[in-house]
Amino acid sequence: MVRNLEDKLFNAVVYTILAFCALIAVFPLLYVVSVSITPFGEVLRNGGFILIPREITFTAYKTLLTGSNLPQAFKVTVIITVVGTAINLVLTGLMAYPLSRKLLPGRQFFLLMIVFTLIFSGGLIPTYLTVKSVGLLDTIWAMILPNAIWSFNVLIMKSFFEGLPEELFESARMDGAKEFRILLQIVAPLSVPVILTIGLFYVVGHWNEFFQAIFYVTDRTLFPLQVIVREILMQSQQPLENADNVMPTQTMQMASVMIASLPVLIVYPFIQKHFTKGMLLGSIKG
Amino acid sequence: MDRRKLSLGLTAAVLLVGTALAGCSGGNGGAATPSDAAESGKGAAASGQTPADAGDASSGKTIKLEIIEGGNNLPSPDQDIIKQELDKALNLDLNLTVYASGDDYKNQLNVRMASGNFPDLFSVDRQQLIEFSKQGLLLDLTPYMDKLQQVETFIGEDSLKKGMVDGKVYAISKSPQIPYNTYFIRKDWLDKLQLQVPTTIEELKAVSVAFANNDPDGNGKKDTFGLTGGKLGGAFAPVFGAHGVANPGQFYVKDGKVVNSLYDPAMKDALAFIKSMIDTGSVDPELLANTALQHQEKAIKGQAGIIYIDWPNLTKEQFVEQIATVNPDAEWIQIVAPAGPGGQYDGAWDIGATPGRYAIPKALEKDPVKLQRVFDLLNYISDPEGGSMLVQFGVEGTHYTLDGGKVVMTDKAGDVGYSWLYQFTGRPEMEYLQAKFAKQAAFIEFANDQPRIQALNGFIDLPEGFVAADADRYIEEELAKFAYGKRDLAEYDDFLKTLETTMNYKALVDAAVQQLNALGYGN
Repeated sequence: MVRNLEDKLFNAVVYTILAFCALIAVFPLLYVVSVSITPFGEVLRNGGFILIPREITFTAYKTLLTGSNLPQAFKVTVIITVVGTAINLVLTGLMAYPLSRKLLPGRQFFLLMIVFTLIFSGGLIPTYLTVKSVGLLDTIWAMILPNAIWSFNVLIMKSFFEGLPEELFESARMDGAKEFRILLQIVAPLSVPVILTIGLFYVVGHWNEFFQAIFYVTDRTLFPLQVIVREILMQSQQPLENADNVMPTQTMQMASVMIASLPVLIVYPFIQKHFTKGMLLGSIKG
Repeated sequence: MDRRKLSLGLTAAVLLVGTALAGCSGGNGGAATPSDAAESGKGAAASGQTPADAGDASSGKTIKLEIIEGGNNLPSPDQDIIKQELDKALNLDLNLTVYASGDDYKNQLNVRMASGNFPDLFSVDRQQLIEFSKQGLLLDLTPYMDKLQQVETFIGEDSLKKGMVDGKVYAISKSPQIPYNTYFIRKDWLDKLQLQVPTTIEELKAVSVAFANNDPDGNGKKDTFGLTGGKLGGAFAPVFGAHGVANPGQFYVKDGKVVNSLYDPAMKDALAFIKSMIDTGSVDPELLANTALQHQEKAIKGQAGIIYIDWPNLTKEQFVEQIATVNPDAEWIQIVAPAGPGGQYDGAWDIGATPGRYAIPKALEKDPVKLQRVFDLLNYISDPEGGSMLVQFGVEGTHYTLDGGKVVMTDKAGDVGYSWLYQFTGRPEMEYLQAKFAKQAAFIEFANDQPRIQALNGFIDLPEGFVAADADRYIEEELAKFAYGKRDLAEYDDFLKTLETTMNYKALVDAAVQQLNALGYGN
């Protein structure tokens, strides 16, 4: 392929801009990582700013993983994320699929009901009362079930299903497949991108679970990761005239942030390629 | 394929999911009954069914108590020694939940009060105390005071008043704290520049200027400044004090009358002096933006030489260590409040404030057994012979030892560093701090011994129609303008006028004077 000068120039400019953007994105992350593995004395001597650590220590991680509530919270968060996402995907799929079929009687009505929940919500106290009355308070389910389906994700999935060629369903039906078989063996394999995309939405949502925990859970052993991390970070924010308070060092704070975000950072690149595809496909109206 | 059959199947699928959803998030009233019944059944069973046998609280069944408050660093129950000891002593199953952020706590408390799912004991601020008690949500403790004798003796008569609304006790206030704040100054910097410890505000200004200009850290760069602190009221509290005025917005008695500091003629002089100090360029330029502990960080990093701060944040081992890593020569000393035209006060100390209040829901009235256990708990932790030592210092022999009646903390004391979360009725502050922070004993006493203007704001209930947040923000903004010369001090009276008319400040002042007079101040 022959390129003329203009093309090359254009590329150079684009690459420079992209490199710059990448740098801006990497910078804060690098800062957090570096501070979290640098001895605190070293951090202070450098005025609190370190990009490339010269001395490395993992004491902050060790302290957090052995002497705090973090490991327990980590377990809770993993359970919420795994169980929650599984429930989310099954329910969202079961809801979206029928709605995507034009044969469904009352389809418009059901769709309207879903859109309705997007615009109006019951508010905090009625929701709390509901959670309380079904006996979910102070259980791990209080952080999973109230958000079992996100209406918006149902709509995305529905549009994706609508994009599948009608002929596919016809031929499957002709071969004698019933609706559930079609859903499991034909629709599901074809929908991997959208399932992964929406799955990632749910995973990140559960991983960052905070709000519901604060309201519905008072048992400390059920607090998820973000609540504990927030506690560690808040502690250093308050000008506590409380002599008993122990301030977490900056190294500790950054280490707690890393522990809380590392798993998502690791998982993300593996789903990312599907992510772009799924988003795009899901966004096209069928 | 039969079209009808197909559509039937699809409808069924939607309905299936719909039902599942309703069970989870829809307002399914039907599901409420069984779990509610189960819950109240449990409660009744635990309480021994009838109020008749409410008497034998200690011999009865283990009772679950739920307590919520603000705080942090609570370990999980299996590692919570204080909880375990209290459970054992009182036959309880204590479930304490703490919220690190004030907003989170407020949300949790509000939603629970609104939905009738009350905790058995919870902390409230003065505003919440008034609101909730007016709504009839709090238990009036007045008739129960004979059951709370131990608590009353422990916190003292004055603290009891702080939990009252309209003459009725609706909350237990913690025993009072002592002031922690003073000016700290870099002794090594003073020595290097051959300066004396400042004793007047003029000298303070001179030292601040010298710290900013004469390179006290000797690195050849002009990278230091004199004074820092948290905002205007923080950094300059002793300067206000030296003019005989309390911090902006505080009420106190002067010449036998209740006054508000903003209306004190000396306030203008104080502001003029602060402006002259800021004009020298020696004050932390980010003073107004300092939140939380940013001023402390600056002091530790060696950027500032004078700081107005509490002793824990500069003299606790953790920070001493940090200061030593940055600059081993740094030596911070406390200084006596500098004198000025209005006297010598290290800021103001609100004698009406309390470190916390705890209320009991009115609903607990119907469960006398449980209520008695709450009382038992409060009495127990207020009893020097009982659990008071436990919630202060931990387990004797493990976390502390007694040396001729004097508490000595052991190496393991750090394991129960969270014990303050269980001090619902407070603690004998001075003895407590001296024992727990033996190395800081001198700083503690020094800070406590400084003369301070007695502010009375804690006693004042805000009148209706007065929004404290708006007024406070306006005061802070305008005073900053005066201090930084963005607004001429000649316009000070205009400022007051706007405050009175637009912010309804007059209502506050009138209410405050009336309330304080009624309490016997300024008569």
